[in-house]
Formats: sequence, C-alpha cells, structure tokens
Amino acid sequence: MIFLAEGMAKAALGRYWRKSPDLRAKQLLSWRRSAVIAAGERPLPCGLLPRSPLSPFLLVTRGLGAEFRVPSPALHWVPGGCGSLAWAGAEAQGTDPRAPARPLLARTPARPRLANCARGADKRPVRHARSLDLSCSSTRLGAPLFRLPALLTLGPPPMEEEQAYLELYLDQCAAQDDLAPPRSLLLSPVVPDDGYIPNTSNSETVFNSHLEEVKASGHFSSVDLSFLPDELTQENKDQSVIRSKQDIEENCETPGQQSRMLLPREQDVGLGLISGSTLLNSHSQVYPGDADPVQPSPEKPNCTPLMSITPMTPVTPVSECSGIVPQLQNIVSTVNLACKLDLKKIALHAKNAEYNPKRFAAVIMRIREPRTTALIFSSGKMVCTGAKSEEQSRLAARKYARVVQKLGFPARFLDFKIQNMVGSCDVRFPIRLEGLVLTHQQFSSYEPELFPGLIYRMVKPRIVLLIFVSGKVVLTGAKERSEIYEAFENIYPILKGFKKA
Amino acid sequence: MNNTAASPMSTATSSSGRSAGKSISFAAELQSMMFSLGDARRPLHETAVLVEDVVHTQLINLLQQAAEVSQLRGARVISAEDLLFLMRKDKKKLRRLLKYMFFRDYKSKIIKGIDEDDLPEDKLSGSSNTNKRQKIAQDFLNSIDQTGELLAMFEDDEVDEVKQERMERAERQTRIMDSAQYAEFCESRQLSFSKKASKFRDWLDCGGMEIKPNVVAMEILAYLAYETVAQLVDLALLVRQDMVTKAGDPFSHAISATFIQYHSSAESAAACGGEAHSDAIQPCHIREAIRRYGHKIGPLSPFTSAHRRNGMAFLAC
Repeated sequence: MIFLAEGMAKAALGRYWRKSPDLRAKQLLSWRRSAVIAAGERPLPCGLLPRSPLSPFLLVTRGLGAEFRVPSPALHWVPGGCGSLAWAGAEAQGTDPRAPARPLLARTPARPRLANCARGADKRPVRHARSLDLSCSSTRLGAPLFRLPALLTLGPPPMEEEQAYLELYLDQCAAQDDLAPPRSLLLSPVVPDDGYIPNTSNSETVFNSHLEEVKASGHFSSVDLSFLPDELTQENKDQSVIRSKQDIEENCETPGQQSRMLLPREQDVGLGLISGSTLLNSHSQVYPGDADPVQPSPEKPNCTPLMSITPMTPVTPVSECSGIVPQLQNIVSTVNLACKLDLKKIALHAKNAEYNPKRFAAVIMRIREPRTTALIFSSGKMVCTGAKSEEQSRLAARKYARVVQKLGFPARFLDFKIQNMVGSCDVRFPIRLEGLVLTHQQFSSYEPELFPGLIYRMVKPRIVLLIFVSGKVVLTGAKERSEIYEAFENIYPILKGFKKA
Repeated sequence: MNNTAASPMSTATSSSGRSAGKSISFAAELQSMMFSLGDARRPLHETAVLVEDVVHTQLINLLQQAAEVSQLRGARVISAEDLLFLMRKDKKKLRRLLKYMFFRDYKSKIIKGIDEDDLPEDKLSGSSNTNKRQKIAQDFLNSIDQTGELLAMFEDDEVDEVKQERMERAERQTRIMDSAQYAEFCESRQLSFSKKASKFRDWLDCGGMEIKPNVVAMEILAYLAYETVAQLVDLALLVRQDMVTKAGDPFSHAISATFIQYHSSAESAAACGGEAHSDAIQPCHIREAIRRYGHKIGPLSPFTSAHRRNGMAFLAC
C-alpha cells in the first residue's frame, strides 16, 4: 500500500497545479501507473466526471489528505493516481462546455473517476444518468476515494461537499460491494475488464478508458472523449486486448444485467472506448457498466491478479482467440413514443424530414450526429437505424424523441429495444467456400451465381453470417453485441480450417 | 425438329438464320461457366459454341411451350407459374428450382437487413417483397397439386444428389488451386445469365414474342439456362469418363464420374486421340451426352410423354 503523508500530498498537488495541462496529464498518468504497480489494488468505484478541474483536487487534498496515510511521495499516491485520470479528464473536459449535461451531476461536480473503477451498485448508470433518476450510488460516488483496502480509513471529509461525496461514495461502495476484499485488485486500466467499469456515467467510464487509450497514444489533450467520433483504431486496439479476456469473462454475468451486455468486462471497457467517443450521455456505459458490478469482482481477483505495469500495455490473451473483433456497422432499434403523432405537422416543422404518404406511411427523419435515420409512424412507434453502437442508437432515438417533443407532442421513451445488430470483420486470409459449404451443409448455402458470399446460419447463437472468399465476414441478426462476438469466435476456427493458402 | 437425332443437325436447325448474323453470343461467358462447373481451366471455344446452341434451342422451345400454357390460362404474360407447370414432371429438378427461389428470397431479406441505406425504400415497398417467390410457388403448386406430392416437396429435406456431386467436384477442384487460381475460379462461379439480364433477353429474342415473360419468369429462365449448362457439363464429364478404357478394370464404368475425371485426365488425353486440350470437354462429348439423354430406353419408349412432342428432351426440366 502506498501512502502519502498529508503534507507531501499537498505539496505534490501544488506542484501539480503549477504545471501546464499537458504536464499535468502526464503526471496524473504516472501517478496512476505507480499506483497500479504499487498497490496492486483495484481502484474504487469512481464517481461521475467532475465538472470543474479544481473541485476534485479540493476533494483530494482535503478529503484524502486528511484521511490517507501515505508513506511515499507523490508518485505513489494511489487515490490521486487513480483519480488522476478522471481529473485529467475533468480538466480537459472542464473546459468543454459540452460535457454531458446531467443536472444531477452538475450539483456534484467533483466526482473524480477512476479508471477501472469497480462498478458501483448502479447497474445502469448510463441509462439513468439522463433521466434525473440517477441511482444513488452512482450519483453519490462523489469523493474521489478509491477502495484501497486497508489504505483508506474513510472518515468524513472536512468539507461538506466532500462529506457528501464521501458519503455517497461510501454508500455506493457498501451497496455494490458484497465481496470480502472489495478492493483487492487494482486493475490495470488497460484491462478494465476486471470488470470495474464505473457504472456511473459512461462518459466518465469512457473517459477513463479513453484516458488510458489517449495516454497510450500520447495525446492526452484530446481528452473530451464523449464527443469524439468512434476511433476505430483505438477501439480495435483496446478491443483486441480486451477481447482476449472475453472467454474468461464470459461467465461473469450480472443477473441484474440489463439487456445487452453479457460481455465480459473487457468487452465492456473496450466497448466503453468505442462508444465513449460518441457518447453524449451516460448511456454509453450501459453495457460496460452492465458488466456485473458485483459478481465479477470476486472472480476478478482470480482471473486477473495483477495487471500489467504500464496501463497502456495490452495484456496478452489468456485464451486462444482470434484477436479480431467484429465492428458494429449498423444497429436497428425501435422505441415507442406512446402518443399519436400528426405526421404532416412533423414533416412540415422538422428539419431533415421527408413524408410521402402515397409512398410510405411514415416520416423519414435524419440527424447528423449520430448519423442515423428514423422512421416515425403515426401510431407513435419509431424505428431508428444507422447507428454504430447501442449507445449511439439510444442517443439518436432520444434525439428524435426530443424533436418530436419539441414539436408539441407528449412524446415519451418507452420500450427502447435493439432489434438487429450488424457487425463485420476481416479474417485476412482467403477462404475456400466450396469446402465450407460441403462440410457444413446443414448450415450453409452458397450460390455464387446469385450472391458471392456463403450464407451461414449459425444455430447458437442465432446469427447469420455472410462469409466471402476474400475473408470478409458480415454478421447479422444479433440482438446483443455479445452474440456477434460469440458467433465470430465460433466461426473463426472453422474458417481457419478452410484457409486458402 | 428432332434435336436429339443428330447434334450437328440441331445446330443447323436451331441457329438457322441466327448463326450467320448472330450478334449476341454468350460463348465467352459459357467458357467461364463451364470452367466453374468442372471443365478444364480453359474450355474449348467449339464446345462453348455448341453448348450455347443447345441451351438456346432448349430455352426457345421452353418459352414456346410456356407461351402456349399461358394462352391456355388466358394470361397476358408468361409468369413463373407457367414454367413451374412445365417442370411438374421432374420432382428433383423442380425441387432444385424451388430451393433456388427460396434462397433468392432469403438472400434479399438478409441484404435488406444489412444495408441500412435501403431501409426507407425497403419499408416503402412493404413486406410484399419478402418471400414473394416462395408465395408464388406455394400458391401455384397448391392449385395444381392433386396427389400432394408437389406440396410435400416444400418440406422435403432430402439431399439433392446432383447438387451434392457438383459441390464435391468443385471442392476437389479448388483444393488443388492456389489463391490466384481460386480467385479466378470464384469469379467464374459468380457468372450467371441473370447478371446479364438484358443481353439474355435479347439473346432469347423475347422482344419478338407475343407473350413475354415477366420478371420472376426471366429469373427462372436464367436459372434454367444455367442448369442446362451444368447438366451438360455433368453429362459430358460422365461421357468422357466412359470413353476412357481402362485396361483390366471391369468396373471402370461404374465408378463415379467426378472421381474418374479427377484422376484420369492424363489418360483421357490418350483415349481421345491426343487432342490438344485434352482436359477440356470436347464437342463430341457434348453431342454424345445429348444423344444419350434423349434416348429413352425401355419398352414404352416410343410412346412416351409430351416432353418429346418437340422432339427434344429438356435438360433442365
């Protein structure tokens, strides 16, 4: 355990704040790294992204300084290290007025986020973040206190707000953590799949993961991740790293898990990365967050004892897997706005809306961010297509709902459901489809004169794969992201068997 | 015209008036198609020309018969039902056709789901497109089915032997290829008459007909043309195998054509009189195949069915 003497902590903070933003970012990361190395403990569940750059530090200095007994200099300041990323993120984000606007969160600005925070009890941080119904635990994460087992004697922080945060945090910890050694592991940021994705705000989580990534790429300044477009390269990197753990994580499923994410933690974090950049709200973390907050924790220690030393170093896959992660290309979702709509009025007043009642009985509306198309029917049902991730789809659907709402209809947002997900990837070797169709006759159909790809109907999970000679694989028919990954992992060894030299 | 009597005759009669100024020729495409169906890497041009003639003749005859059936029904276009009616006698081929139609439907459904840009248009057309061919086929067979055999075909999941054999042959062929050859092979396999729909239509001179086929009927015709080519190649390979006289092997005739073809391409060179492209199918094989196909063996052969009304046995149905 690493401790910082209170005075030293303050001095370190002072030095920190005197630096330029870039240097600060670097410092935070190095703290974090050392914290990871030294503590080998899991970061505590983190709160929401702090709003103001200063507030987390206030919390830290006053709260932590008072509470923590830290023996070594700043380098080993675990809490700071852990939260640093969040703060760094906060810094960068603090300047960004576009930070996810969550009214509740605004009141509690200083909630530094930990990379790899253990998930709070809030299982659906994202989803609720938008609605004012932020789950207590997530909102109350507050204090940038990480669950360092023996390290932290959490007494009430001197300041009221810190006290509030601390209490929130403690509540969250208590709620979420049934495990005996809740903070046994400090997961490496790179392998967040240890399952501790902060369930609070996905932007933060994303932020964290992104921070890791960003740090890896060395561009720490471009931190306002929630608004970044999906960075596929980073995604791939993360995902491939993360996916390596997929098998391990497969069984870690939260019963309370909402819909889609049965992904192993790694996936979630990776997903967080993917979605984070496009997330404007907390939704993105649904699935990352959805990774069971509680269950994985006990398993986590067993699965991944001590993560790599540098946060950015990818962890070698434990199990054999393809190392390729399918990218989601399209997500079709439906939602019920629960009110009758006057399509003509919508078409007249809304931008980017087409309505041709003779051709089709719905308004076709498009928005640019996320780039999607929606079909809005007069019954109030809406279909949203074109998003590249679950969170984007949900966000886009919400945007359309808001448009409808602004036009004066009492639109609600009921039964949001993802109907279909399409993913694609490339195995990078040519495949001999004739062999495949012969050996897997019951599942595959191949009529090259009709369609150049082989259509493979996988039974479990129920996914249709289009396999092409070039090695490209398209997967469709999934209701959850995990199905796509699972299907690809199932087909990959088969495809390897028919590799055309 | 009795095409089965002598194939050279058939070429003359079928292409009378066309061979001279025939502008539309599928010979090049046919060569690729034959390669993808099991012929040598470079099928002979003469063989391709002969195959084209045969296919052309058969399709024209088929269209004429379909037009007659249409007229009987009082319809103004040749539709899928007419072609299905003509094929009702041969269960296996009918089943293959049905499977093809269903596959087409299924593939459109999947592609629709994947390609989001299509979504508005797709929704616009509604669900009328999904499984439309299947519906047509089902309704029609329902109406003509007296004994329930035809409808049973929908549930029938038997392995199609001919298709199986073709798949095996393709698999064997591709196993020994390297990636460049395999890429070429795949491209050849993707050739079909339906890809060149307008050329196909002109080739059949649909414009000159009184009753024209509709879209689904054209799809089926393109499929039948392809099937005819495939059948011809299958039979020619069989014939070629038979021509190889293996000394001392009394069962050489009984061994599967595909198997023999794979192993004895070198020997067939000698047997065929040492022609230049010994691997490729020769026109003589094709002619022999047609002759044998049309030749009904059995006590009642002089009195058999309406298929022979025109003197030609349809290879595709």
